[in-house]
Amino acid sequence: MTPVRGGYAVDVPTINVSDRARQEHATVWSTFRAFGVTLRRLFTSFVKRDMPTISYPEQQRNYSERFRGTHILTTREDGSLKCVACYMCATICPAECIYIEAGEHPNPEIEKFPRQFNIDMMRCIYCGFCVDACPEEAIVMSREHHQAAYSRSETVWGIEKLMTRPGIDAKGPGYRPNRPFAEAKLYNPKEKDECAWPSVTDERHPAVLYESMIQKRQ
Amino acid sequence: MPKVTINDQVYDVPAGRTIIQVADESGIDIPRYCYHPDIGIEGSCRMCLVEVEKMPKLVPSCATPVVEGMVIRTNTARVEQAVRYAMEFLLLHHPIDCPVCDQSGECFLQDYYMEHAGHASRYPGTQKTHRSKAVDLGPLVKLDRERCILCTRCVRFTKNVTKTGEIGVFSRGHASEIAIHGEVPFDNPYSGNVVDICPVGALTSSDFRFKVRAWFLKGTDSICAGCSTGCNLRIDHSARASGGGIGGLTATEGKIYRHFGRRNVAVNKSWLCDEGRLSFHTMERWPRLREARPLVGAPLEHIHQRFETIRKQHGAGSVAALGSATSTNEALFLMKKYFGGLVDFRIGHETETYQKMQDDLLRRLDKHPNTQGALDLGLASTLGGLNGLVDAAERKQIRAMWIAFHPQLVGNDPDETLAGLERLVRALEYSVVSTTHEFSWVAPASVVLPMAAWAEENGTYTNYSGRVQITNRAVAPAGDSVPLYAMMSQLLTLSGIQVTPNPAAIFEWMARETPEYAGMNYATLDKLGVETAKEMVR
Repeated sequence: MTPVRGGYAVDVPTINVSDRARQEHATVWSTFRAFGVTLRRLFTSFVKRDMPTISYPEQQRNYSERFRGTHILTTREDGSLKCVACYMCATICPAECIYIEAGEHPNPEIEKFPRQFNIDMMRCIYCGFCVDACPEEAIVMSREHHQAAYSRSETVWGIEKLMTRPGIDAKGPGYRPNRPFAEAKLYNPKEKDECAWPSVTDERHPAVLYESMIQKRQ
Repeated sequence: MPKVTINDQVYDVPAGRTIIQVADESGIDIPRYCYHPDIGIEGSCRMCLVEVEKMPKLVPSCATPVVEGMVIRTNTARVEQAVRYAMEFLLLHHPIDCPVCDQSGECFLQDYYMEHAGHASRYPGTQKTHRSKAVDLGPLVKLDRERCILCTRCVRFTKNVTKTGEIGVFSRGHASEIAIHGEVPFDNPYSGNVVDICPVGALTSSDFRFKVRAWFLKGTDSICAGCSTGCNLRIDHSARASGGGIGGLTATEGKIYRHFGRRNVAVNKSWLCDEGRLSFHTMERWPRLREARPLVGAPLEHIHQRFETIRKQHGAGSVAALGSATSTNEALFLMKKYFGGLVDFRIGHETETYQKMQDDLLRRLDKHPNTQGALDLGLASTLGGLNGLVDAAERKQIRAMWIAFHPQLVGNDPDETLAGLERLVRALEYSVVSTTHEFSWVAPASVVLPMAAWAEENGTYTNYSGRVQITNRAVAPAGDSVPLYAMMSQLLTLSGIQVTPNPAAIFEWMARETPEYAGMNYATLDKLGVETAKEMVR
């Protein structure tokens, strides 16, 4: 055991930096090689216009069909709110960010409707449990995540904003597991902006690979 | 006493009991829908079937009395199969709308399905019979016929308990349904009980309906403070802050959502009157008093000094107190200690009416829960109640007073009481009013202190028959409110007697000094209370 130094009662290994550099063949020449990489990128991005980055927020990527963005309250055919105020989402919510007040629906078959349905978007952790718990598919998630606001009170979204906000379906719905994912477009590397993540029907998707692996084992 | 064997265990039971009663007393679980201990036996649900040796068929345990040497089994494959088939029949046309049903979370159908059935329905869901929903039976009760399993608990309640018979089963066979006779509404003072006893979501309370889901509620066992009967109840209040950080919508202080009858055979069986059931709404009738007026640094020290100076100037008899029979025994006892016995509690006609029945079931004319307790403490003193105190104050015999006022939970406080209190406050040189709400008569008082209301403090009430029962704190006191016993123990501490503001400790002190309560403590009172020894009182 080496004597205690620097207050730590452990054996601190010493690294010989020049040894390591020699092992990795790092010489003066490698410095210029590194400049070369930078220059090559400069050429490809400015002359060939092949850039991995985009000019956000003017340009935006489209996220996957399973993206858990801000919530959407869906409607029936007649335009009325689908929610029956059953509190399943408020019950499962680990962040306790959903507040519902139920009222008596004029149609006794439907029984209930939410007089108030508020989600505290600052408190929400976007886990998507509310969507999983909903028996009516009344709440789904969008592919949108922008929610800048000037005050905290604006970040509590009521029925109106959850149901009809501008551009709510511009990007299409996000996480909604009860609708079959087969509808979703398959991943095509040529259409880079179409879908950043493969859908679960894609054979290369980790979830599908894992499932087929298990099937093979059985 | 017959000896019976249930599941290989021998029990000695009094004759005349039914099998299900014996099982309940011995902690053996038998599923049931139609059986309820307080409404009479029907035997229609076929859930409580048990196997009895030497009997060819399974017998309904709710309707079979035990006899000597009976060998009963509740857990054989035959019994399990019978229960499973009964469940399948009961759920045949059930809409399974648990997400929107108010009963879910406390539904016998859900519980027994998970415990005893677990089958997949063999009946096509599209062919289920649909029946009328949300039918108003009366002002407090709504009926959903789809969910009804025709156990007839509600019918037997109106037939055997209230003896009014508003509800009945109409039509026959598959068409039979629960209904009221023509247009006569189900409107009696005990109508809310059918909601408590309905094992499924068929009968729902118009007051509680859709307010909150059952699993968000926390139950606290307590005592109704609506009248001197002292019915046992469970206060269902918010248990978690649903709505998270949403301003103004967070239930952090706690909110009472409903009352549920708690079984105490010696007092109220399982029942509550509708007034008592809805009595928590009284707390919402006026704005709550949230802070002391005028705001001084340490109000109680200031008050104590004022009382001491007045006592020195005008003699010990110049400072008195007026409690009320809604205060707990603990608070009244400490009040008596601090004011040296110069305490009264009579603000109306409590002492004359507290044992008189309003009807033949539960309700009593005195709308204060603790008149007997105040009498046991000897507070019906020479002060002569509210009127006597007003006279004494106007004659300047009494110059300073502490007035603790809690509104009646059932009905309105009599106008003459409120007028008398206002006269009293105006006549006094120095008056301290500790109360729960912003009442107009409080305005001229020298000091106004916010006091914790019923369900916001622990304590005991002694009901009309002398039964001492514990009332528990369910929700947090509003604003700066403090229980009366806490204020009194602080005053006593200031006057040199060290008192811990702990109701259980105060009760033990009181039990040592009050012969009626000798030997009692919170552990012996427990949930059902203890009757005071009758020969010692009165």
